[in-house]
Amino acid sequence: MKLSHIRIPQGILIRFSGELDHHEAGKCIEYLEKIMTLYSTDRIFLDFSTLTFMDSSGIAVVLNAQRNTLGAGQKLCIVGAPPFAVRILKTAGLTSRIRMEPMIPEMPKTEQEVCTNGTK
Amino acid sequence: MARNEINRMSVKFDSRSNNEAFARQTIAAFASQLDPTLEELNDIKTAVSEAVTNCIVHAYRQESGSITMAAVLYDNGDIRIQIKDKGCGIADVKKAREPLFTTGDQERSGMGFTIMENFMDRIRVCSREGIGTQVTLTKHIRRRNTDGDSE
Repeated sequence: MKLSHIRIPQGILIRFSGELDHHEAGKCIEYLEKIMTLYSTDRIFLDFSTLTFMDSSGIAVVLNAQRNTLGAGQKLCIVGAPPFAVRILKTAGLTSRIRMEPMIPEMPKTEQEVCTNGTK
Repeated sequence: MARNEINRMSVKFDSRSNNEAFARQTIAAFASQLDPTLEELNDIKTAVSEAVTNCIVHAYRQESGSITMAAVLYDNGDIRIQIKDKGCGIADVKKAREPLFTTGDQERSGMGFTIMENFMDRIRVCSREGIGTQVTLTKHIRRRNTDGDSE
């Protein structure tokens, strides 16, 4: 499992690459906590598009991330979750509680116009 | 319906978390002989991953032990997988199988048995405290015609 993060205009994108199982879950939870504390005012996107496997350990990772955001007032979104990951999250009832998008949502036009004009 | 065994295998490995991936790859390689779809294969890998993880996290906890995974393929497309440990056993199997119930820490969601039940056709859990646990998972792989469509 490889974890990375980048800043995008919409917020912070945290990418999960590889297999997410019990062996990797602890590392993922620690990494998320560190990044979400570092960027505590941003929107957080969990990029699952390069996951190759996920079991119920992924549920624990997502629940921990959700707990972190609720505490800090951040917004959480899962992007690019493959069908096998969606199925796991659906089994836990998380697809109705956490925003899920096929790809990173575009920024609202009003914000883009404001940024283009250089004023906020 | 009568069925005949066409192949069987058995592997034994240490209760280390890095063997979870090994168990998945092993069962996937074996189950491939039934020509499953990618989804069926993923279902089997996921259920095995959950069962093996339970052995590591709950059966043996901080101690090391061995896990045996055995599987049988049948000519009607069934695969039967047994995952066995000699760990602490489950005090209340019915309670353990409830969704979200876990005796683990924040890294555990308590959904392991629920996932196994959803992804496999049948699951049986036999456990005795102080002796160990055996989980039997069964799935039917649908035969596909020559066009690749399931029958």
